[in-house]
Amino acid sequence: MTDVNKTGVVVQPLASKTAGQLTRWERLLIILKRDWQLYLLLAPTIIWLLVFLYKPMYGLQIAFKDYSIFRGIVGSPWVGFEHFETLFNNDQFIRAIRNTIAISFISLCVGFPVPILLAIMFNEIVNQVFKRTAQTIVYLPHFISSVIIAGIVIAAFSPSSGIVNTFIKALGFDPVYFLTRPEWFRPIFIGTSIWQEAGFSSIVFLAAIAGVNPSLYESAVVDGASRWQMIWKITIPSILPTIIIMLIIRIGNMLEVSFEMIILLYQPATYEKADVINTFIYRQGIQGGQYDVAAAAGLFNAVVAFVLVITANSIARRYSKTSLW
Amino acid sequence: MANMNLYSRGDKVFVAANMFLVGLFTLSTLYPFIYIAAVSFSSGFQAAAGNVVIVPLDFTWAAYERVLSDNEFWRSYGNTFIYTIGGTIMSLLIIIPGSYALSRPHLKGRRFFNLMVAFTMWFNAGMIPFFLNMRDLGLLDSYFGIIIGFAVNGFNIILLRNFFEGIPESFEEAARMDGANDFQVLWKVYVPLSKPAIATITLFCLVSRWNGFFWAMILLKDEEKLPLQVYLRRIIVELTGDEEFTAAAMSAAFSVQTVTAAIIVCSIIPVLIVYPFIQKYFNKGILLGGVKE
Amino acid sequence: MSRVSLQNIVKCYGAVEVVHGIDLEVQPKEFVVLVGPSGCGKSTTLRMIAGLEEISDGALRIGERVVNNIAPKDRDVAMVFQNYALYPHLNVSENIAFGLRIRKTPKAEIAGTVAEVAEILGLTEYLDRRPADLSGGQRQRVAMGRAIVRHPEVFLFDEPLSNLDAKLRTQMRAEIKRLHKRLGVTSIYVTHDQVEAMTLADRIVVMRDGYIEQVGTPMELFNNPVNTFVAGFIGSPPMNQITADLIGGDDAPAAMMNGAKIALPKLEALRNSEGRKIVVGVRPEHISIAPTDGASAMSIDLDLIETLGSEALLHTTVSGVPFVAKAETHGSVAHLDDLGQLYIRPDLIRVFDADTGMVLDQKLAS
Repeated sequence: MTDVNKTGVVVQPLASKTAGQLTRWERLLIILKRDWQLYLLLAPTIIWLLVFLYKPMYGLQIAFKDYSIFRGIVGSPWVGFEHFETLFNNDQFIRAIRNTIAISFISLCVGFPVPILLAIMFNEIVNQVFKRTAQTIVYLPHFISSVIIAGIVIAAFSPSSGIVNTFIKALGFDPVYFLTRPEWFRPIFIGTSIWQEAGFSSIVFLAAIAGVNPSLYESAVVDGASRWQMIWKITIPSILPTIIIMLIIRIGNMLEVSFEMIILLYQPATYEKADVINTFIYRQGIQGGQYDVAAAAGLFNAVVAFVLVITANSIARRYSKTSLW
Repeated sequence: MANMNLYSRGDKVFVAANMFLVGLFTLSTLYPFIYIAAVSFSSGFQAAAGNVVIVPLDFTWAAYERVLSDNEFWRSYGNTFIYTIGGTIMSLLIIIPGSYALSRPHLKGRRFFNLMVAFTMWFNAGMIPFFLNMRDLGLLDSYFGIIIGFAVNGFNIILLRNFFEGIPESFEEAARMDGANDFQVLWKVYVPLSKPAIATITLFCLVSRWNGFFWAMILLKDEEKLPLQVYLRRIIVELTGDEEFTAAAMSAAFSVQTVTAAIIVCSIIPVLIVYPFIQKYFNKGILLGGVKE
Repeated sequence: MSRVSLQNIVKCYGAVEVVHGIDLEVQPKEFVVLVGPSGCGKSTTLRMIAGLEEISDGALRIGERVVNNIAPKDRDVAMVFQNYALYPHLNVSENIAFGLRIRKTPKAEIAGTVAEVAEILGLTEYLDRRPADLSGGQRQRVAMGRAIVRHPEVFLFDEPLSNLDAKLRTQMRAEIKRLHKRLGVTSIYVTHDQVEAMTLADRIVVMRDGYIEQVGTPMELFNNPVNTFVAGFIGSPPMNQITADLIGGDDAPAAMMNGAKIALPKLEALRNSEGRKIVVGVRPEHISIAPTDGASAMSIDLDLIETLGSEALLHTTVSGVPFVAKAETHGSVAHLDDLGQLYIRPDLIRVFDADTGMVLDQKLAS
């Protein structure tokens, strides 16, 4: 299957054709021949995604089935929306939705401004050694496991031995068993998350501030502006786009309450304020073995989260051509 | 900016107040760690009575002696090392080649594969299907299950992919003209050029593996295979929550409080050791690699 | 050394065609420069020759072989990149040796070849340094060393000097020329800088919008541009181009523009076409400030004198239209200050069609 081209040189048939004459399959063959190594490099990632993330999506069908371990995912009979009806008639699930929204909303209101504030404050520090030391310390809790953070919280708020109650007792009041009191759960949980994440979250805003053209500050100094005025007139307006993007992203991730921390901190006594959708799923599914109902709750959660994230991302994209992916 | 003489009096007050506030926040971040360390070195009596504030009272190594002589502690510590090292290596082996391939503009189907990665960040089947899948794969209660099951995450892939994309394509082209194939281009050119990004991802993997507890708690039933964090959770949440046990276990030398604190300290130490290395990359903006302009 | 032959080479990105069927023959040992404004397709063409871009249609031959679907590494070409693409984690000698190592050349042979190349390029004492510790010119030389070391049939250069400052660029330009003389390897060189093209090339290929406008030696392009684009692109400052009406009949053809009159050569192509719109092209170098044989005078308003040293650029207007001339200074520009007239020899004028921009045939009327 060789032919002789114009110059009289014998070449392989593929090479003798000019590119425009190739069929679809020949093109594909050339690509595979050229890039097979690239596809080999890609294969583990794609296989992993299929096996560990996409296969479970197929398994989500049990949300519409009467699932039993013995019949398996495919063999279990369809029940339509029965589990969803069960869920929305379940006070605990409704409570979990309410708690999820409440906790995210309060975290957002209280927690969102803190990293911005921190970043601005860090930026105003003149002494570089002090600044770097402070940053190092403030970023640290982000890298500590939630078990340890929870351990520290439990130790600090213990009614008999905790430092918090030591102070309360010293002031002449009765000790409070904080972690069994529903009204204290949210303040403690949200306070802990701010303590753990505010420092690290400030990095994004610090980077934004670092991107501000220094000549803006220099000309402000020449114009006689005070530090305070520079924050309001230069720093904040300059990082406003970043703030808005982060806010949108944060709202998109509303449902992503750090439930691992909640599992560590909550107790039956505080469920009424602490139980969120994911902890509900954990108890129903993993602990209670009601896989189908729990999967239905998970699907509800995932779909709402998906809509929120996609909406937030497209708004963010439109707003500034910046997006998270 | 560093010339303080240029500052007006109002500005000096402002700078000082700001420094004070930042200092306060920093101390409040630091204090819980100091508190726990102090408790861990105090006597069981002082700790249980809630007398420890900043410095250890009745300094003693008793809690550490108790912890370090506990077989379960060492076993779970060892397990955590296996999960951390094994998991990180597994992650890198999958993520580095995958991200590289995804970063090549001439890869046919690139958009589709990238969407496949991104989609996992938008939509997640959730806890139950993931758990059932692990069970169906026979990965419950196995070291390998923990190591492979959490090897990849979309964020790390995107971070590394963006870094690879930022390397001028002429590096690949030059290597290609020199006769390198894709494996060689990746291994001899792109990996050495991406050391900072790979180091960042390695550290991310190490830290998240070291700290992970939720799935280990769910997937592992065999005591022999539990990692440190699950062991820790049992001590912290299950024992300290129980006030009666606390009272009963109190002894002069150590108490549940001091033992717990000692375990916490022991488990933070490795994080503190790698922390300076992580810090190195904060300012390089690599952490923001996920945010694409 | 090989010839490189492009036959009807086309490049499409999706439905957009960016290179429209180019034909070009590069002779063995020839130094050909592709030049044109950015986006003209010169780099794309070079990258197709290198094998870094797929060829959408047409046939590319290196030597006698069609290489359309041959991998870059098997085409026996080497390329110098605009940003050099030196590996920062390797030192100079490792950078130069990279290609040989990949090809599993024996170690002893690599060492010998690298030493030889380093010698040629004057890099011997820098072999242990990392690229970060080199100056721009040294990096440029390492990039060339990496290309030379493999003894390729064809060298490809993709704007290799554009990252250097003006002085180094001149110096490296000469070095590239010298190297080509010494090694005699077929070279294809891409640049947007016409000075580089003029100084380096055996032949220049001027491209625009994915088409070849003209191919020729530097002097051919300078003296006889085929159209207004090439006339404006080659030469610095570019050829003056004045749109005018043809007047004066067949005996004394002249260009008339806002009342100013320029005598034209008696071209065959200008016969019987009085009133036609034409573009008059005059190189600044072809204008003199004193009357010469056969030159016709033209009144100008002197606007500005730019002194370059031995020469000066005279920015003038002719009936309000900008017109640039070059004059020798002979050590002073004082004599240029009150210049009122310039002299142009009709035989040095090029006449273009105003609609098509194409040059008119220079055959004189008999």
